[in-house]
Amino acid sequence: MSELENPFQETLIQRHRADSCTVVIFGATGDLTHRKLIPALYNLAAGGDLPQQFKVVGFARREKTDDEFRAELEESNKKNSRQGHDATLWASFSQNIDYHRSEFQDLAGYQSLKLLLEEFDKERGVPANRLFYLASAPEFFDQIMLMLRQSGLNEGVGGKWARVVCEKPFGKDLATARHLNEVVNATFHEKDTYRIDHYLGKETAQNIMVLRFANLMFEPNWNSRYIDHVQITCAENLGMEGGRGAYYDTAGALRDMVQNHLFQLLSLVAMEPPTDLSADSVRDEKVKVIRALRRYQGVDEVAKNIVRAQYIAGSVDGVERVGYRQEDRVNPKSMTECYVALRLFVNTWRWQGVPFYMRVGKQLPKKATEISVHFKYPPQAPFPTTLQRGTRNVLVIRIQPDEGISLRMLSKLPGVQLLLQPVKMDFRYSTSFGKASPEAYERLLLDAMAGDATLFARRDEVENAWSFIDEIEHAWHNDGPQPPMNEYPAGSWGPKEADDLLAADGRVWRRL
Amino acid sequence: MSATLEDSLAILGQEVPLGLVDKALKELWGHDEVRTRASLMNFAIYSEDPASITPNTRLLEEITSEHACRGLLLLALPGGEPHARAWITAHCQLHDGHKSVCSEQISFVLEGGTMNQVRNIVFAHLDSDLPLVCWWQGDLSANFSERFYSVMDMLFIDSSSWKNPAHDFAVLAGALEQSTARFRVYDLSWLRSHLFRTALASCFSNATALEELRHLQFVEITHSKGHRLAGLLIAAWIGVRLKCKLEASDGIKLVTPEGQSISVTLSESGEGEALQRIELRSANASLSVSRDCGAAYVCTTVQIGDHRHDQMLPADPVTDAAVISEQLSRLGGQSLYLQMVPMLRGMLR
Repeated sequence: MSELENPFQETLIQRHRADSCTVVIFGATGDLTHRKLIPALYNLAAGGDLPQQFKVVGFARREKTDDEFRAELEESNKKNSRQGHDATLWASFSQNIDYHRSEFQDLAGYQSLKLLLEEFDKERGVPANRLFYLASAPEFFDQIMLMLRQSGLNEGVGGKWARVVCEKPFGKDLATARHLNEVVNATFHEKDTYRIDHYLGKETAQNIMVLRFANLMFEPNWNSRYIDHVQITCAENLGMEGGRGAYYDTAGALRDMVQNHLFQLLSLVAMEPPTDLSADSVRDEKVKVIRALRRYQGVDEVAKNIVRAQYIAGSVDGVERVGYRQEDRVNPKSMTECYVALRLFVNTWRWQGVPFYMRVGKQLPKKATEISVHFKYPPQAPFPTTLQRGTRNVLVIRIQPDEGISLRMLSKLPGVQLLLQPVKMDFRYSTSFGKASPEAYERLLLDAMAGDATLFARRDEVENAWSFIDEIEHAWHNDGPQPPMNEYPAGSWGPKEADDLLAADGRVWRRL
Repeated sequence: MSATLEDSLAILGQEVPLGLVDKALKELWGHDEVRTRASLMNFAIYSEDPASITPNTRLLEEITSEHACRGLLLLALPGGEPHARAWITAHCQLHDGHKSVCSEQISFVLEGGTMNQVRNIVFAHLDSDLPLVCWWQGDLSANFSERFYSVMDMLFIDSSSWKNPAHDFAVLAGALEQSTARFRVYDLSWLRSHLFRTALASCFSNATALEELRHLQFVEITHSKGHRLAGLLIAAWIGVRLKCKLEASDGIKLVTPEGQSISVTLSESGEGEALQRIELRSANASLSVSRDCGAAYVCTTVQIGDHRHDQMLPADPVTDAAVISEQLSRLGGQSLYLQMVPMLRGMLR
């Protein structure tokens, strides 16, 4: 028997096994910790997926005791836990949660954290791995990294690993992203750096590769010969509720959604098959897509291919909404877009000439994220209706809500005449699989503990994405003439100019 | 047919002539715009117990809540003149608070049922292109024949319910040797301990605990009444995983490749879940999993020298339907189980 081999582990199902570790959450009193991270860890505990001798340390600036911290977390877990809240399990789980008060820039606080972690290791009898989760505001990342390095917490003890998970936004442009990457990589190796994008933890996003590469029927048609265009939509029916305007007005839809979530979806749709499922094989192929994006330089090119807009007053679901510039904590003269539509091209053999249309916006009629792949018309059209609108084959991958896949095809209408009618084949996760999927954060936290970085963004992915986004931002915010900031009423499907973007190509946005 | 059995048939829904089952199903769904029929597999339950109609219908209902399928309920009653009757019904679940998603159930009562009759009726009513999962309840009787298991993709059995486990394991081993047998076998008696075993595995998640395995001397397994086989399965699992040989002795003795002798004792304690407690002991350490944390969790205790660590981990589901649902969700392999069977058969001798 090898010293490192657990002979009983082999009996377990194929899932990631995390090594014994302590998770330190920076920004532990924040919303993300309460709504997502702790419920995710609790649900992992409920599923038996947490390692033995697992510990959580909440690191934050506010004064509070361990018990106060646990009590607050318990209240939020009751509201946010996917599988409900069990008092017995919580009692067992929460006894492994500690609170550590310190300023983010206070080295002494990190030194005392180190002593606390060493104390845990003594209790365990063996050193444990350490996962540092940066859930604080991004302006503290530099300080936290510096202090982790100076205190020596960035080094694993006794052959154990030390990793860092970084929440978005990872920079606000290429320069800041590069700076952050340098700071992070000066503290942790790239292999120990996990940049989280929760979209990649969603079941349907993970299913894109399965759909494409495990089903022979799709991949041979997945190219410019058969695909007319692809649409990626991320619609939100909310605006700047809960004071979100303060952050959003400094970012905008392009930085907040396109640079990360939508580019990740684009990569999964357009990538070549990876040679294997290792993290780097998958990410090598994904980053090639971003690198191959046709660049838009200068105001004219950007204006021709990208539409930006802000919502004006309107109503969503019958509720009156104010315009973007009237939202709480938003500059009344703001030039930040809350809607963007893009026409993109991936300059590869596979995708030559196939436009990828993306749209993302706030205060749209409903919440929906989906990818639709629109196939070309058949080369020969013996039927009278084949060239009418709505008669192309469309494969739709619904990311959220109502996760699933549908395929539109043509069928003969029953009767003596040869009339064709579009019909839809629909696969829904909720109907086919009764069991609820784990939350994205559960999967991603487990992966980070188990050392699988496949669903995390690599440095070159992030920097290449920012490089593309920066050129658009420069065109939008240069001192000279700028592409227009369009408007759309809250509750509509975006500005007319976004429809015109597709109409110019003889296409329309898919009706959601 | 007894009056009691006849009374229990009402739960099966609408009786239809055997040759008109498909037509009746089409009519069932054709008139219904509100409900959606869903199916990912054919799920057949085979039983020779006349009292199984009602509990098996309930079990199918529970399984379909998580796994949309075409349910096939087969009650074979040996003896008498061959006579078959069929019923159809549906199990519907609300999704998203409004959408009713349904799995259909076709039930057959086969009096004087020979295997030919069972096989032909099952073959004729499968949802095409979908896998066939069969839960064979009770002993592997003469009806468990090659012509039937050759069409199965997954076979669920419960070795704890077998009257003569040595005989039935021999039948199973024989079936698995057939070139036409392509089914994966899942033993409920084994599946019921999945999370219990997971908990035991987690006790050995560090090098210090692993080191103690070399010095293991005693394994104590406590099982509930009627579940000695579940205890033996665990003993065989430990033996196979530690690459032990089974040594002939009064009790169960495992010998590791290094020559370390491990004494295994099984004891029975009350009712409840099949496995109650496992403890592995060396001179310096004790690692145990027990049911001391309530119904939903198991407790693990690792005591090595002065260091002690306790943890709560999820317990296995209790009902057979939940155990099967879990397995259908996991889609795990069967290789380990098959590796264990020879040692288990050795223990049964």
